[in-house]
Amino acid sequence: MQQFLALAKDSLRESMDRKIFWVMTALSVLVAAGMFCFAFEPGRVVVLFGAWEFETAEFTSAGSVQSSRIAGLAVHIIWDLMLGFVGVTLALVATAGFLPAFMERGAIEVVLSKPMARWKVFLAKYLGSMVFILAQATLFVVLTYMVIGFRWRVWLPGYLLTIPLSVILFSYLYCVSALVAVWSRSTVAAALMSFGAWVGFFGVQTTADLFDLYPSWQEQTVACNAIRAARWIVPKTQDITYLAARWVGAGASSEVVPDGEGEDAELVRRAGALEEERMEINPVHTLGSSLLFEAVIVLLAIWKFSRTDY
Amino acid sequence: MEAVTEMTNWAVDLIDVHKTYGRTIRALGGVNIQVRRGEIFGLLGPNGAGKTTLVKIMMTAVRPTKALGTILGRPIGHRGKLARIGYLPEHQRFPPYLTGMQALDYFGALAKVPRVRRMENANRLLDRLWLGQWRNTRVDKYSKGMVQRLGIAQALVNDPEMVVLDEPTDGLDPVGRRDVRELLIELRNEGKTVFLNSHLLSELEQVCDRVAILVDGLVARQGTLRELTEHTVEYRVTALGDLSPLREKLEKLGASCEGGLICVPGHDAATANAVVDLLRGANLLIESVEPHRFSLEDILVEALGESHGAPPARRVGPVGSGA
Repeated sequence: MQQFLALAKDSLRESMDRKIFWVMTALSVLVAAGMFCFAFEPGRVVVLFGAWEFETAEFTSAGSVQSSRIAGLAVHIIWDLMLGFVGVTLALVATAGFLPAFMERGAIEVVLSKPMARWKVFLAKYLGSMVFILAQATLFVVLTYMVIGFRWRVWLPGYLLTIPLSVILFSYLYCVSALVAVWSRSTVAAALMSFGAWVGFFGVQTTADLFDLYPSWQEQTVACNAIRAARWIVPKTQDITYLAARWVGAGASSEVVPDGEGEDAELVRRAGALEEERMEINPVHTLGSSLLFEAVIVLLAIWKFSRTDY
Repeated sequence: MEAVTEMTNWAVDLIDVHKTYGRTIRALGGVNIQVRRGEIFGLLGPNGAGKTTLVKIMMTAVRPTKALGTILGRPIGHRGKLARIGYLPEHQRFPPYLTGMQALDYFGALAKVPRVRRMENANRLLDRLWLGQWRNTRVDKYSKGMVQRLGIAQALVNDPEMVVLDEPTDGLDPVGRRDVRELLIELRNEGKTVFLNSHLLSELEQVCDRVAILVDGLVARQGTLRELTEHTVEYRVTALGDLSPLREKLEKLGASCEGGLICVPGHDAATANAVVDLLRGANLLIESVEPHRFSLEDILVEALGESHGAPPARRVGPVGSGA
């Protein structure tokens, strides 16, 4: 445990040494400050402490502010966009260099000469790298949670669950970064491949959704089965948002984000129904299968790390 | 069985260590090395001889193709025993965001040293290695010599039974090198075993009790400095005057001459005296007669020559001997 904590502490120091860490900290404070400039009151939104007011019934129900609407705003706009996308992207960039630096000649030999099995060294460093996103997610979520509670007067305890969800989302992608780093010892390759994996995971899920959305596509049974199998295997990054929305008490994003003109009413209806269905997804299934994928990738990385001569 | 191996006098007992990279690149071809407890042992050899590979195998950074033997009484690679060994790799890099104190704390924790003791050790070592006033300065502000001294402190922070140092004086100025030599002798006096890998032969000569010469992945020589040098003496006679009329007679005595210098190989003083008599008989003025023991450099060059097919010039110390 002492060794594990030493590696975790080292990862925190390494995180804090990165400029991106402080850029993200500043962004979190800015976002919280920006949110503080808004207030939701029955029938209106007040900006900059009364400098502007907009009348809208969007966030009002039965004469009071509708908490599910605020929750939807918090999850689909504030958390998903700022932390789930911008935050995770920056964290992937910042941490892509952790393992290559750790494995540099002259550095890794000393660590391996300590009384700690290689698989533990790797696992400690891998989990230690999560400290970056954990610290940032905690800061962002706690700050925005306080603003939502004190300023918007809606308390959303479930919103705090987005902290572990952010870490899990990051870990789905960081495992790819770690595997590539162990194989190539290249920061650039690790970063690029983790983004490539993100696009790939998104692509698989989106394609699978399209098969669900267009029944005619399902006639292509081989392709349909293949993409559904792939959806089961790869980390389901989009499901994290559905879980967050459900646990925070928000509705589907379609309730918050208007769907434009709605040219094809039937398609929009089916998409809404599909999203509602996704909101009911079994967390054990989606998290379990995604974490299983991550475990396989991490085991591969450990195998490579353990068999490499340094 | 373990009790027996723990009691062995060998701090390091490497038997038939092989390392092949890929299928064809042979780095070590069956190395046998024995290091006694409490001695300073030097490993030397030309670039590419396999010295660093051997050290990394001892420290588990490189996996051997085949290896038998023990380190501190336990099989090579035994994780528990690594807590009792300190290691300075060649060109050690520290995380740049750590201060000197934080670096020692970090590596001490990895070596499972309790917090209070590692803090005490870190403070003592930073002072001992002239880094006390920079203990709270980030490592990326350190000079190359300071990083090297911090590396030595890192190797000692767990108060090891044995310390393995790969080029410990690299980057140090002459004063720093002398200080490291004194530190090594202190460590030996405290009963610690020091395994030294250095290309600075003169330094090895000054501090090592025993050395091994590694050439092309094999031990070409091994023994105490005395063992390696006692049979490799020659007499050097300097004379004034024309030696050419005597060249044939000198060669019959086994001597060679170049300019005014006559080299009489071997440690038999009678041959040297015969040469002197010959010179005196020719009324040449003898300026000096001195026995010359070969340095480690001479032995290394000789071992290299043998390894690369040149006939051995002279008999030298025991090969691959552990005693």
